[in-house]
Amino acid sequence: MKTTKLKAALIVMVVMGIGFSFTAINKVTVKGSDTMVILSQKWAEVYMKKNPGASIQVTGGGSGVGLAALINGSTDIANSSRPIKTSEVEKLKARYNTMGVEIPCAKDGLSIYLNKANPVSSLTLKQIGQIFAGKITNWKEVGGADASIKLYGRESSSGTFGFFKDNVVKTDFSPSCQTLPGTAAIVNAVKKDRNSIGYGGAAYAEGVKDCGVKKDDKSPAILPTAATIKSKTYPITRYLYMYLKSKPTGETKAFIDWILSPAGQGLIEEVGYYPLK
Amino acid sequence: MKKVIVAIMALVFGAVNAQEVANDSVKSISIDSLQQAINLHQLKFDALNEQISPLQEQVDKMAKLKISGYIQAQFETYDTWNAGIHGVSPVTGTAPITNSFSIRRARVKFTYEALDGVKFVLCPNFEIDRVRLTDVYVMLNDRWTNTFSLWIGLFNRPTYEVEFSSASREFAERSLFTRILYPQERDQGAKLEANFMTKYEIPLKLQVAVLNGNFATGSAANQVKDVDNSKDVMARAVYSLKFPSKGLGIDFGGLGYFGNNEVITQTATPAIFTDENGNKFTPKVGDNLKKEWYGAEMQVYYDFLGGTSFKTEYVRGTLSGFKAADFPTQVNTLFTNNNKVRDIEGYYLSLIKNVGKDHMLSIRYDVFDPNTKKSGNEVATIDDLKFKDWTFAYQYFFDENIKIMLSYTMPLNEKSANPAITNPDFANVDHIDNTLTLRFQAKF
Repeated sequence: MKTTKLKAALIVMVVMGIGFSFTAINKVTVKGSDTMVILSQKWAEVYMKKNPGASIQVTGGGSGVGLAALINGSTDIANSSRPIKTSEVEKLKARYNTMGVEIPCAKDGLSIYLNKANPVSSLTLKQIGQIFAGKITNWKEVGGADASIKLYGRESSSGTFGFFKDNVVKTDFSPSCQTLPGTAAIVNAVKKDRNSIGYGGAAYAEGVKDCGVKKDDKSPAILPTAATIKSKTYPITRYLYMYLKSKPTGETKAFIDWILSPAGQGLIEEVGYYPLK
Repeated sequence: MKKVIVAIMALVFGAVNAQEVANDSVKSISIDSLQQAINLHQLKFDALNEQISPLQEQVDKMAKLKISGYIQAQFETYDTWNAGIHGVSPVTGTAPITNSFSIRRARVKFTYEALDGVKFVLCPNFEIDRVRLTDVYVMLNDRWTNTFSLWIGLFNRPTYEVEFSSASREFAERSLFTRILYPQERDQGAKLEANFMTKYEIPLKLQVAVLNGNFATGSAANQVKDVDNSKDVMARAVYSLKFPSKGLGIDFGGLGYFGNNEVITQTATPAIFTDENGNKFTPKVGDNLKKEWYGAEMQVYYDFLGGTSFKTEYVRGTLSGFKAADFPTQVNTLFTNNNKVRDIEGYYLSLIKNVGKDHMLSIRYDVFDPNTKKSGNEVATIDDLKFKDWTFAYQYFFDENIKIMLSYTMPLNEKSANPAITNPDFANVDHIDNTLTLRFQAKF
């Protein structure tokens, strides 16, 4: 008898739990890549003007932070400037029984920033990787002045850091690489130091010069321009992504559909990135 | 007069000139003081930089250490008390205990990533009366291709259900055959893993492990080192298919376990065993008894009105069991087939459905047959009875750290009217041994 009462109490608890949790909230939260914050805020701002009932809340923190928030359920959309990792997909499978939904929403090129006074104007991908890995430490090794190279980069939670590490450095960053909170800070640091080098979104390169990037010794140096990034001839080109736990519905779907429409894609170049087509 | 005017103009010019000179001198002082102030601040910044640099180094070192863990506290009601599962036998002659609060898990996992590709993992499990090590291993990743990783220490045996953490699992316990074939889930040894996704974008994972093979058999003192010279080898391959436009993902693979149980002692009057066909034999010290099986697995993930998954594993092979009284060092208390070599079979089928963001419903049917050669009334001992378990579970994810699970397990044993089975709990009846678990889990 006692057991029956206990079981009945448990069932009531469960039903109450279900009831409380189905409270509907018509708000879309977007979290993740700092690279995408301005773009995402622009999208949200214009979308909310056109759809006064919609509420889109955008925050940064880094791609890793956004994907972690998606996995733990605290955001609807994770912005990421790198592809999702296998380990993150495994966590989505374990928690939500889905593979996640990947939506490429814009294109971006990663510039290699050099000080304007630096005589070096182009580097191969391998040289850039070796510089950031600490294997090349003096500019004279790549045709520059006899001066130590000062490195600036992003924090490990940044998708830009992850993408650059996986595709260019391909090993650990040099311990001497100073991490700064955001691409603007990197540009500012490179602007002030003639022997420095940094990386970040092509749109941020103001007051510094873009380094031409060669795929290898025999390839021509390519500068990150709208044309080379759109055509993916610039070697460090990437997609910017939105990730979801499962297929979007309701307001989230409407927002994403609008981002992928000509109206949403048309805003991308205004903030320095490039549309998908 | 002209001279006077010229003299006055010269005086005024001189005064004006003097004023300008005075103004210039004020400006010059202001720039100098500004420069001094900048220099002073620069010195302060440099001093701060010097102070921060060693702190930054300390913070960077600290960031290499990650601490995670979880606690599972639960309340269970049982139809009967099963000492094998719950760990404490009722006192003879007293009323059986039918419900209890207990701490199932209290684990803290320390992961230190010394360098890219070198990980140290230490995970103690805190129990009411002791602290037990669960995972302790060094993991070395190959830095050049990011494909291979070598694990050395104490770690999970490579199967899907074993490697799927109990913090994420959809049911209160793993399926019966997993608990029997892989007691305590872990073993000591070395494992080589190859994941071809990162470098080559081939969704294939291979695992080969060489293990002591005796973990969680006999007393805890046995776990320190191997008790025999033979090692067990496990090999597993998993391939993943993705169909993003359909919201579908399929992982499938196979495994092989190639091991044996070496007879390391014999009793004064040699213990007699029976083989897979029921024939008696007396093994000598040094003889190897079979412990090998093959298996297959599949996990299907489908995004239909939220997440849905279907998971299954199947194994078939041979396992040998030792009697606790004769071979206390080698007994697997969950495989009660005393002093026997048996052909075994096990599998599970589970269906899991997420409902909204916070709810998960799951159902599992799992089977373990400890003697595939006999069924029905041919079964003459409880140890050979086949078990079919149904488990129903509901999980509520309160927030990112806390979840509540309600799980109900109904083990259904094979019925045998064979008169050799005299235990009234099992004699041609289903043993009443259902369990209801209400579990609270906090994960960090």
